[in-house]
Amino acid sequence: MTLVAENLVKTFPGVRALDGATLRLAAGSVHALLGENGAGKSTLIKILTGVHRPDGGKIVLGGAELHLNGPLDAQHAGIGVVHQERNLIPGFSIAENIVLHHLPRRFGLVDRARMRAEARRCLGLLDLDLDPDTPVSRLSVAQAQLVEIAKALSVDSKVLLLDEPTASLTGDEADRLYGIVRRLRDDGQAVVLVSHKLEEVFAVADTVTVLRDGRSVAEARPLAGYTQDQVVDLMVGRAYSSVRLADRHVDLRAAPALRLDGVSTARGHRDISLSVRPGEILGLYGLVGAGRSELAKALLGLDRITAGTVEVRGRPVRIRDVGDALRRHRIGYVTENRKEEGLFLDQPITRNVGVTVWRRMARAGLVTDRAERRLVAGYTDRLGIRISSPSQLAGLLSGGNQQKVSLAKWLAADCEILIVDEPTVGIDVRTKAAFHELIAELAGTGLALLLISSDLPEIVTLADRIAVMNDFTLRGELVNDHDYARMSQAIIRLIHMGSRPAGDETA
Amino acid sequence: MPLWANPRLGLLILLVALIALFTALRPAFMDVTLTLVPLQSDVSVYAVVGLAQLAVLSLGHMNMAVGRMAAMSAFAMGLAYDRLGVSLVTGLLIGLLVGTLLGALAGLVISRTGVNSFVVTLAMDFALVGLITILYTRFTDGVAFGGLPAGMDALRNDTFADYCTGDVCGPEISLVVPLALVAVLAVGVLFRFSRLGREILMTGANGRAAELSGIPVRSRVVQAHALSGLLAGFAGFLLAANNGAFSASIGDAFLLPSFLGPVLGGTLLAGGAVSVLGTVLGAGLTQVIYKGLNLLQFQLDQLNLYIGLVLLAALSLDRVRHVVADRKGARV
Repeated sequence: MTLVAENLVKTFPGVRALDGATLRLAAGSVHALLGENGAGKSTLIKILTGVHRPDGGKIVLGGAELHLNGPLDAQHAGIGVVHQERNLIPGFSIAENIVLHHLPRRFGLVDRARMRAEARRCLGLLDLDLDPDTPVSRLSVAQAQLVEIAKALSVDSKVLLLDEPTASLTGDEADRLYGIVRRLRDDGQAVVLVSHKLEEVFAVADTVTVLRDGRSVAEARPLAGYTQDQVVDLMVGRAYSSVRLADRHVDLRAAPALRLDGVSTARGHRDISLSVRPGEILGLYGLVGAGRSELAKALLGLDRITAGTVEVRGRPVRIRDVGDALRRHRIGYVTENRKEEGLFLDQPITRNVGVTVWRRMARAGLVTDRAERRLVAGYTDRLGIRISSPSQLAGLLSGGNQQKVSLAKWLAADCEILIVDEPTVGIDVRTKAAFHELIAELAGTGLALLLISSDLPEIVTLADRIAVMNDFTLRGELVNDHDYARMSQAIIRLIHMGSRPAGDETA
Repeated sequence: MPLWANPRLGLLILLVALIALFTALRPAFMDVTLTLVPLQSDVSVYAVVGLAQLAVLSLGHMNMAVGRMAAMSAFAMGLAYDRLGVSLVTGLLIGLLVGTLLGALAGLVISRTGVNSFVVTLAMDFALVGLITILYTRFTDGVAFGGLPAGMDALRNDTFADYCTGDVCGPEISLVVPLALVAVLAVGVLFRFSRLGREILMTGANGRAAELSGIPVRSRVVQAHALSGLLAGFAGFLLAANNGAFSASIGDAFLLPSFLGPVLGGTLLAGGAVSVLGTVLGAGLTQVIYKGLNLLQFQLDQLNLYIGLVLLAALSLDRVRHVVADRKGARV
């Protein structure tokens, strides 16, 4: 074994991200690391690359235990990584980026000749014919991706971690990349591949580790022993299938509260049609980057809708901005990214909840703290938000409570249509269940809910119907029968194997 | 929040201590006509100057043209009084309108182009410096306007002690003080209780979240800058009243004090939190130091040097207090 990470534990406030995960890598093999969103893959990679320090467990590299105090330690130990997000400095040249962390120096100045030579060597390993002096900002996405890999190779790495390396590549580019991965394997490197694209994984990987809820449910098994369906089963598990919420009655004859018909957007959505009735939860499932939040934002007027019609309660509308959506059409949007977009972290809870209702509360343009506190108290009780005082800063709350505050804001605003984007990302299992009950309850009161989620169990637990989005188009819509095994496979099939036209899978 | 962690309280204590110190060193510091009345007038002007900066600090923005907006307002006022012979109030309103429009223009450019407020207002400042010189050369003898409206003189020289009903006279408070007080109260109410002020603060705290909460972010940016221009113009009026002249040099010395007041008072440069009371105390502290050192017969250069040092010390102490408070778990 080149590298063994054993029983890793990592807790963040409110979440146990890793709970005894084990990863064993052999030299000269490609190892797939799989799991649903939130299973702990990113955390595991961040521990192996020194970004996070584990709370428990150990890492052994080539027989010696490894203590990583930062990303540079990991590099020196021979662990190279290409992260999911781009990490190149756009204004610097290819050569400068490649040797960024170990600049060759002469008399205290950068030795540019040696820098170029080293860059050329790394690019050569990948058969890349690029001028090392080209600024990175002029490269295509695919080229930049390959330069990142060259950068990872420039340190004499024994282990190379690739996190979703083909997310922004075309099919041909991906094939080329995997050709290089195979060659690195044949040269004796241990390559870890994280990818949502199962067909690619099956084409290139030798062994597989599957993570679920922070634990490894399959450890370094030969991939040849599994079918894709079996891997999907392992990934999604059955832990949630027992969670069943009380049946809600949706009046199927009711007119849709929100209806999209053939909507295309400036961001690249094509021909999106869907509808939500009052009291109904429409799940919008898709992987990260499928274009779901972008659709919600276009709906709210933050992006241009170029074709098709949007109808609210039967009337075609043009929504200008969030204020317009809220006040004229009673549409609220609970954002995915609560820290950056949903909450005002340095502001008290009262203001975080009150921000959407000041207009209604104001007498002669003035809002009193007392009226605001009364309003907030109503929602903290109803949503079970645990706070020490209404003037507590939102940033000091746990993730689950923060999410409830960002939901309370829209409930206070008296929305009839609510778009909820990834409501339980980074929230621990128990709070998650409470949140699911809350969402179901809200639908029960007649709210029309569009639930955006990349969490399969969540969608299957909550949604009445499930629309599946991939690459900015809808791949199909399923009526949810809450049978987890059947639904999850139907959904995954729509995404992974779904080049069939939309509507084919409609049950 | 524990009492000792309140920056306003620290300022108040420092203020009292300095007044005691200066009085002990120079008893003339307590002389009413020589020191206290002029001090009131100065604090009034610089409190309003501080508020003008605070109005955009609430967004996390800056107004580098605060002095020149004041100068343009003062020019408009002087012109109206001198050429049109309008009353005190009418001229004031005309000038305030000019300040407001200049601020709104800056806000409009910032919100439409997305260029940093520092750059936009700095450019505006440069442009206005030139414009003001041209205008004063064209419309006056090059320095100041001659004609002043009725009442201007009283604003400059009188205190309430000059107005008596029978035997009962008012206190030794200069007439500009209640004017500044109105501005302080209005801005305080705006940011504390009004929807507009609160939405401006939320925009400063997190613009993205504000937009996604339905706040018209762009208008709030324009409005905050317009308010800054309005207050700058008002400060220009108060200074002109104190000096007894609408001159080209009004606003020259506004920029640095405009930041000192709010920052000393605990207003964040990052936006999202303001302290109106703190700004008044901060302006008071700066002016007391200035007056005190002046009385101790420091030369102008020395004066600036020592003011810089005293303020640096005050800010460092404030920072220490913050860190200690943070360690003890109290968020300030």
